[in-house]
Amino acid sequence: MEIIELGSQHLFDLCTKYLARDDDSPRHSYFGAIPAGHGRFSEGWRFPVIEPHCDGDDATRASRNDVTFIYMAPPDAGDGFSVSIRGTFDALYVRTPLKRVEDSRYFALTVVLPAGCCYRYRFILGDTEILDPINPQITVEDNGTEWSSFFTFATFEPITFERWERIILDRLTRHILPFNTQEAREFLEREVGTPRPNHPYLHRFDISVGVVNFLDKLLAREERHQLPAYKTCLAIINRILRQRNPYLEPRDMPRDMFKLLYDEMASGNVPGWDYNLYSGPSFFLQMLRRHAWTGAFCHPKYGGNAGATGWRYLAERYKDADGNTLFDWARSIEPPLGRSTEYRG
Amino acid sequence: METFDAVIIGSGAGGAPIAYKLAEAGKSVLVLEKGPLLRTQQDSPNGLSDFKRDELYGSGPEKIHTISGVANTGAAFYTSHIEPDLNDEPHLYSHNLEETPVVTIEGYTAQVVGGGTQLYGAVSLRFAPDDFRLASVNAGRQLPEIDLNSPDISILDWPISYSELESFYAMAEKLVGINGSVQGQLKPFPSGNFYQTPLPPNPISTHAKAGMDALGMNPYRTPLAVITQDHAESGRKAGDPKTGFVNRYGDPMGFKSNTWVSLLRPAIRKWPGRITLRCNCVVTHLSSNGSRVTTVHYRSPDGSRREVSGKIVVVACSAIESVRLLMLSAEEDRPGFGAKIRYEENDSLLGRYFLTHCFGGAEVAIKGKRYDKSISLDSDWATDFCARPEFIQQEKLWAGGAIYNNTSDQALPISLARTHRSTDLDTLWLGFAGDTGLYGDRINGWLDADFGTRLSVSFMANQIPWFQNHIRLSNVRDKWNRKSAHIVKDWHPHDGHVMRTLARYCEEILLKGVPGTTPDDIEEGSVYGNGVRIANHILGGARFGTNRNNSVLDKQCRVWDFDNLYVTDGSFMPTSGGANPTLTIQANAFRVGQHLATQVL
Ligand SMILES: Cc1cc2nc3c(=O)[nH]c(=O)nc-3n(C[C@H](O)[C@H](O)[C@H](O)COP(=O)(O)OP(=O)(O)OC[C@H]3O[C@@H](n4cnc5c(N)ncnc54)[C@H](O)[C@@H]3O)c2cc1C
Repeated sequence: MEIIELGSQHLFDLCTKYLARDDDSPRHSYFGAIPAGHGRFSEGWRFPVIEPHCDGDDATRASRNDVTFIYMAPPDAGDGFSVSIRGTFDALYVRTPLKRVEDSRYFALTVVLPAGCCYRYRFILGDTEILDPINPQITVEDNGTEWSSFFTFATFEPITFERWERIILDRLTRHILPFNTQEAREFLEREVGTPRPNHPYLHRFDISVGVVNFLDKLLAREERHQLPAYKTCLAIINRILRQRNPYLEPRDMPRDMFKLLYDEMASGNVPGWDYNLYSGPSFFLQMLRRHAWTGAFCHPKYGGNAGATGWRYLAERYKDADGNTLFDWARSIEPPLGRSTEYRG
Repeated sequence: METFDAVIIGSGAGGAPIAYKLAEAGKSVLVLEKGPLLRTQQDSPNGLSDFKRDELYGSGPEKIHTISGVANTGAAFYTSHIEPDLNDEPHLYSHNLEETPVVTIEGYTAQVVGGGTQLYGAVSLRFAPDDFRLASVNAGRQLPEIDLNSPDISILDWPISYSELESFYAMAEKLVGINGSVQGQLKPFPSGNFYQTPLPPNPISTHAKAGMDALGMNPYRTPLAVITQDHAESGRKAGDPKTGFVNRYGDPMGFKSNTWVSLLRPAIRKWPGRITLRCNCVVTHLSSNGSRVTTVHYRSPDGSRREVSGKIVVVACSAIESVRLLMLSAEEDRPGFGAKIRYEENDSLLGRYFLTHCFGGAEVAIKGKRYDKSISLDSDWATDFCARPEFIQQEKLWAGGAIYNNTSDQALPISLARTHRSTDLDTLWLGFAGDTGLYGDRINGWLDADFGTRLSVSFMANQIPWFQNHIRLSNVRDKWNRKSAHIVKDWHPHDGHVMRTLARYCEEILLKGVPGTTPDDIEEGSVYGNGVRIANHILGGARFGTNRNNSVLDKQCRVWDFDNLYVTDGSFMPTSGGANPTLTIQANAFRVGQHLATQVL
């Protein structure tokens, strides 16, 4: 495991806005969606902080990340205070100490890890192991053991959703996004079907442009507070679909069923919806619209727009009379994904 | 206690030029900046910037308002990585004191070294000469929907004229690094033209120019704080800045001339040891002894309490936060600091005449043509047509404004959707999310109509200084248990007249410039009467003037009854000017910096 020093200036830059405060109330628990302890901090999902790694070789940027663990000691922690960490990024029995950042309350450790992977860890204070008080991502093992967890850039391993949930999300987001036309499908076949060894974020996934994978990661991290809404609504939708057609799996149900469901959700009136469990199907649909669009066109490191397929789709659709694209996204994006000669990502 | 010649609070447009001038003069300067130092590629040891060309950086993921007792508890909001978390540091807003306030993102610039100039569109126009003397210009005039003698309206001439500021405009243009053209501007340039050469405009802007030409508006290339050539003053090399990641994005390359890359970083390199920059340090209050500010109280990056002192103290936190800081200091010591700043006295002007701009415009989706808007900066063409004295007379306006076309807006797919039908930063995404009829192939139809086709022309004009528009403290506490700012603001009916008039000219530009366009194709409007409240231009609240009865600051931006306290962000403006404000904030800060270096320290 490679440990690197980011320097105290940068470490403070990563921490202060989110962690420094006098008021310890759960301002960020979003009415209980995030546990109160984690809800004391702003955007606790940013921790551990995951940044692109660069050691001068362009191609490594997409494949490794700098991962910075932060522990904030109590205000009265004296010089003897220490905290260490163990996790799946190293042999599990290895404890690595975090270092105090100047004379502040922040303790930090930065390690370089492969992108595209999930990890678990715990902090160790004296004899006690604890979960990360800042990062709200928690993984529970089969035996009930809890770990703090995180994943690096462009991870494709499912974290949040079960297979049946991903299928429903795929069907609904396909209905929303503009990639369902014959023309778009041909384009996607060509694009996703073409091996591109140089494109770090392209993954042959069963989902057209990676939107479901984006959702799987977004709901684990940035918008974790909406996870209860997703889980509840997907269960309701699953039940409704199966009631409407007990013979087919949602994966094989005709498009019209999803069209009808979409229209009903848009109107807010869905026969069979359990309004006691979740009162606003149209609210959920609107959120899904925002998420679907973001996932289709975000930077591929977020796990959506796989291989920049969404951008490529626009670039191909819009061309001038001479066949030059009218959305030359690649010129400003870092290589190897784009072809900027200046910007390094 | 640690002491500096000057302690400057805030590293944005109002703070950095002063640090620059004082360092140049050999003074010791401490800059206390609440936000982080986000590095350009050049600054960073591994060659990667902390700013990214990444659309999710422009707004950030969804967050939920959890502050109770306001009208939008439970609603979603979106802030970028360098805007504050509104649950930690809310700004409250209401039209008047009776209405239940909302928490709003409007009214924050950016909290980072460089302040608002990191995210800004970089449109860097000078104000017109008459913008500095609107009391004189309007003496004895009768205008629609306003009684200029009404006691709640206070139009002041600035204590400095255009010609007094002109050489500092030139200084700012030279040192900051701005491209543009002089020909066509209403403003005289006796100190010389320091603009860099503009890059070729985006082809879509040809329509805006054609419309302006057809109306005899004499357009010029919009001055933009982006370098197009190597910039010796700041040691920057030029490159290709046209990316579409412009307004609301920090620039990983440092081509955008924010105050970090253009002023602070060069000053730190040129005059080593003179400027100490402490980032991630929020100032909580000031304390005083008699007419001297003695101590600046701040928090270190982990929140520990710290104190420091300066022979002079310059507050430049952006208008709302500066006024708040002064009010919080007053509440800590009412008989001392409070009395000196006349906090909550009957005729107190602190926080009063808060201003933004009358703004709005017209927009069209050009039919049958498409352009790559992602190869653009924020604007290509501007005109001073509506700032001409004849125009202002003829249209019965109290003041004029500038018009320019926007090029980079909606250039990228996520920004296109997130701003679809939204009226302000508090309503991002609502339009697209709620427009549920747009799906599947209909989205293709929408993209065909809107992607790379939308051309907008905006105006930026003076807003009436109205006593009832003000900044006050609310009882809602921030994460430091300090009272938050509450902005009370509405539009004066004459603002409506100004906005309707200028929006009409914007529409005319599109009608003349885009062949085949009819009025039905154009969306025209302004902030008057719709949701937009404060927006990006945050001005007034501590106006400067000629005497302590009509202003908070003297001509040199010193608080009247303090010997060593200065305020130099946008709050000093007694009227908001007929153009985007930042160049004027910078020019004025250079002026004050020069005064401090030569006359005070
Ligand atoms: C999206 C956007 C686009 C814009 N586009 C344009 C444009 O094209 N042209 C134009 O002229 N203007 C534009 N503006 C406005 C421009 O950003 C502001 O006018 C300008 O930055 C204001 O300067 P200032 O000195 O008042 O404040 P700022 O530049 O914002 O500086 C204030 C600084 O003080 C710091 N601070 C605040 N409180 C404290 C504290 N308590 N302790 C320590 N530090 C503190 C802040 O973090 C910040 O860095 C835009 C703004 C935004 C948000």
